[in-house]
Amino acid sequence: MDNKILEAKNIVIKFNLRGKILTAVRNSSLDLYKGETLAIVGESGSGKSVFTKSFVGMLDKNGWIDEGELIYDGKDLAKFKTEKEWLSIRGKKIAMVFQDPMTSLNPLKTIGEQIREVITWHRNTPKDEAKKEAIEILKMVGIDDAEKRYKQYPHEFSGGMRQRVVIATAIACRPEILICDEPTTALDVTIQAQILKLIKDLQKELNMTVIYITHDLGVVANVADRVAVMYAGQIVEYGLSNEIFKDPKHPYTKALLLSLPQLGLKGEDLFYIKGTPPNLYREIKGDAFALRNPHALKIDTMYEPPFFKVSETHYAKTWLLHEKANDNLVIEKLEHNGKQKKEDNKKNEKKEVLVSLRNVSVKFKLDGKQFKAVEDVSFDIYKGETFSLVGESGSGKTTIGRAIMKIHPISEGEIYCKDKLISKKLKKDEMKAFRQSVQMIFQDPMASLNERAKVDYIVSEGLYNFKLYKDEEDRKRKVEKAMEEVGLLKDFLTRFPHEFSGGQRQRIGIARALVMEPEFIIADEPISALDVSIRAQIINLLNKLKEEKDLTYLFIAHDLSVVKFISDRIAVIHKGHIVELADSDELFENPLHPYTKSLLSAVPIPDPDLEKNKKILIYDPKIHDYSVDKPKWVEIKKGHFIWANDKEIEDYQKELDRNHYDKETN
Amino acid sequence: MDKMYYNGVELTDDLFNEIPLDEHLSEESGYSNYSYWRSTFRTFFKSKLSIFLVAVIVVLSVFSFLYPVFSNVDPQQVTLDMDKWNMNANSENWFGTDGLGRDIWARTWYGTRNSLLLALVIALIEVGVGSIVGAIWGYVRKIDPFMIELYNIITNIPSTVYLILLSYILEPSFTTIVIALASSGWIVEAKFMRNKVLSLRESEYNIASQCLGTPLKRIVTKNIIPHLVSLIIMEAALTVPYSIGSEVFLGFVGLGLPLDTVTLGNMVNQGRANFMLYPYQMLYPTLVLCIITISFYIVGNKFADASDPKNHV
Repeated sequence: MDNKILEAKNIVIKFNLRGKILTAVRNSSLDLYKGETLAIVGESGSGKSVFTKSFVGMLDKNGWIDEGELIYDGKDLAKFKTEKEWLSIRGKKIAMVFQDPMTSLNPLKTIGEQIREVITWHRNTPKDEAKKEAIEILKMVGIDDAEKRYKQYPHEFSGGMRQRVVIATAIACRPEILICDEPTTALDVTIQAQILKLIKDLQKELNMTVIYITHDLGVVANVADRVAVMYAGQIVEYGLSNEIFKDPKHPYTKALLLSLPQLGLKGEDLFYIKGTPPNLYREIKGDAFALRNPHALKIDTMYEPPFFKVSETHYAKTWLLHEKANDNLVIEKLEHNGKQKKEDNKKNEKKEVLVSLRNVSVKFKLDGKQFKAVEDVSFDIYKGETFSLVGESGSGKTTIGRAIMKIHPISEGEIYCKDKLISKKLKKDEMKAFRQSVQMIFQDPMASLNERAKVDYIVSEGLYNFKLYKDEEDRKRKVEKAMEEVGLLKDFLTRFPHEFSGGQRQRIGIARALVMEPEFIIADEPISALDVSIRAQIINLLNKLKEEKDLTYLFIAHDLSVVKFISDRIAVIHKGHIVELADSDELFENPLHPYTKSLLSAVPIPDPDLEKNKKILIYDPKIHDYSVDKPKWVEIKKGHFIWANDKEIEDYQKELDRNHYDKETN
Repeated sequence: MDKMYYNGVELTDDLFNEIPLDEHLSEESGYSNYSYWRSTFRTFFKSKLSIFLVAVIVVLSVFSFLYPVFSNVDPQQVTLDMDKWNMNANSENWFGTDGLGRDIWARTWYGTRNSLLLALVIALIEVGVGSIVGAIWGYVRKIDPFMIELYNIITNIPSTVYLILLSYILEPSFTTIVIALASSGWIVEAKFMRNKVLSLRESEYNIASQCLGTPLKRIVTKNIIPHLVSLIIMEAALTVPYSIGSEVFLGFVGLGLPLDTVTLGNMVNQGRANFMLYPYQMLYPTLVLCIITISFYIVGNKFADASDPKNHV
């Protein structure tokens, strides 16, 4: 382990952005040891990507390494000026895998050619030999039928397969160091697990050193030997994976771990970090996290803390470790911040159906061909519950949300809201009532707010539409109340959306829905585009609002770990079909459908010991033989529905009995 | 206890006391003061060429519009004095005189004024009609097939053919030229705007507005038009040189404005006849013409680049 392969010393990276100098990385040092897997964790804007991009000279044109040294192979990379110098390292010795596989492949060239090019370019291998090698590499990254696939173009590959190809191009020259920049963020959970395993296997096979850049602590627990946590352009803590997960010292690391939705308990608030990450245009004084740390020390706001040693391998940059700080007291306080909530005693005895879908199908036309995005879906949402719809990208979950919202017309079936058929053309006053009582929260806070309108207009839009205010005064009061409810300041109303961070923008989006005083809110992946530290904030907010205003949610998500904490019932959707629907606890205890099982097995767990030993189930739709025995939607146990044919139902029933028996005997 | 120091600062116990969390500061720290329009203009004016060309356009337009005020030279004033015909540039006639003894300097500025006026009117009509039609075209999906066909028909006929045809049918006049030139341009603009509107229409913030039941009128004025403003400015700037060029072309083939109207097109056309003997009669107006069209063209393109948020660095 003491074989240093790369050494970054006091790196400062600056950008010239819109006439101002921004310091993206502030004096960060890092040692990388041969053969290890290091994960750099941080939120967007923490500088983690920029930091590692500087190792291969891939900073954007307006950025530069201002100070510091990058020692690799006896050379100081920070002194490199020309592209030619960088090319002797980049791709050859240090290679990179990016987040979005579509943008890192050339759509006009066959994937084989792209890999072959890398080989000939760096090593002058003759074409035929390089081709043979490329096919070998394709096989290595788990692409079947490599000879045939060699001649195919990127668009013929699925997202996960494309990422495999990207990895293949990265390892084509047998680099010593592989930097993976959020390699799985754009992929579905089940694919994500496979890619992580692939990188792990390749690392062993090729004896590589791997750096992961990620915001997902589950991924970190799975892969990393060592972890470095970055905040506001600085590494604030680093240590062995176990040390970071089991004994974090920096208040930011602690808060990050505590705020994971996976760890939440139903009926209790999640721990969350207040505020927003700092803007790096400003000069940061002292500890950058102090502004958001409810237990900040006076010294935090004045002087930047040095690194304190926790163990041989574990260091943290916080004044809390100073002998004068009363460490224990603070930890205890942090952990008890998630305040206890009253017992969940209203076990809805009489359930009132609020929204009901009956055999709904939605068809789309794509290139003249029709395809069903949603097929024969039926479910009820009861008043006051949180109903979650979980599925991978392309499963039709968003389409269902938008169909209820009357944005997409449905082609078959009926949708009822409060016993009223809404999937037909509504009269003006009916439409008004519907638009008011059903609201939507969107996935991408960057795209869902009108950039050219002030927050005041955005939040009041619905009020204007239906004249839901008496006078100007009344409107202002309503808007301000909504802002207050989502924890934003009144002064923000006169600003434009671009002046806010992602989490703040998402809260503006929630305020826009709240001001209408809806009964039912469709939340379309409201947290998946947000940073980890912000997610808990938004989940708590949604839960709080639900209690206070007696709201009903349809929560659309792709990640089971998130919905476990918040939902009453969960429906799992696959390729336009709902395959399983049950109470949240029931689904996690007795998952029956193989697809649900595979989703559950892929959920990342923020515990290195558990994560490293977990087994991933891969779902193959071919296991269902529906040629004769047609599947149907049946209630296999009270409240537990499944999409299966007669034979499968029998098997599932047996499985249920067995599970039940196991529990009894334990 | 011993006193402790860090970087020359005494670490007192007081420094290790907790301080309360300031909600305002914790929210405020993420504040960014990015502004689309400010960044667009900043990026635009960062290029020295842009500043120079904008200055050129402003000076030329202001000068040509004010010229009649402080000059008493009549551009139509012919003379029977043969000595004053086809004069070379001199201290009295800076660009010389033409075959009838008219002052080319004066005619150039009157011509510039008329041509600019014509171009601006055409640009306003094309981009104005184009934006409105484009917004509707993008939003009302039913008319799409019809509009696409119309677009194909209009753009596939070579513009010279119907420019000439229209000029034959209609009496040559200012209005005729405007109609002739704007008749094809608007649909090109409309198609361009339609494509942009299509993507805006599917954007999440617009779907959010639909979910809130925002009426079409407000969607167009609040969600669509504000996002098109930079495109409209850019397209208008690019239409100007094209219109001036077309006017010159029509004048050149003898179908432009009536010969007694002073425009750059007519001047170039008249200068052409004597080009071998008196080249400056054509060259001076052409020079001014080129400066104007090239400036507008480059400014339009520079603005297009500057208005793209990707270039706001």
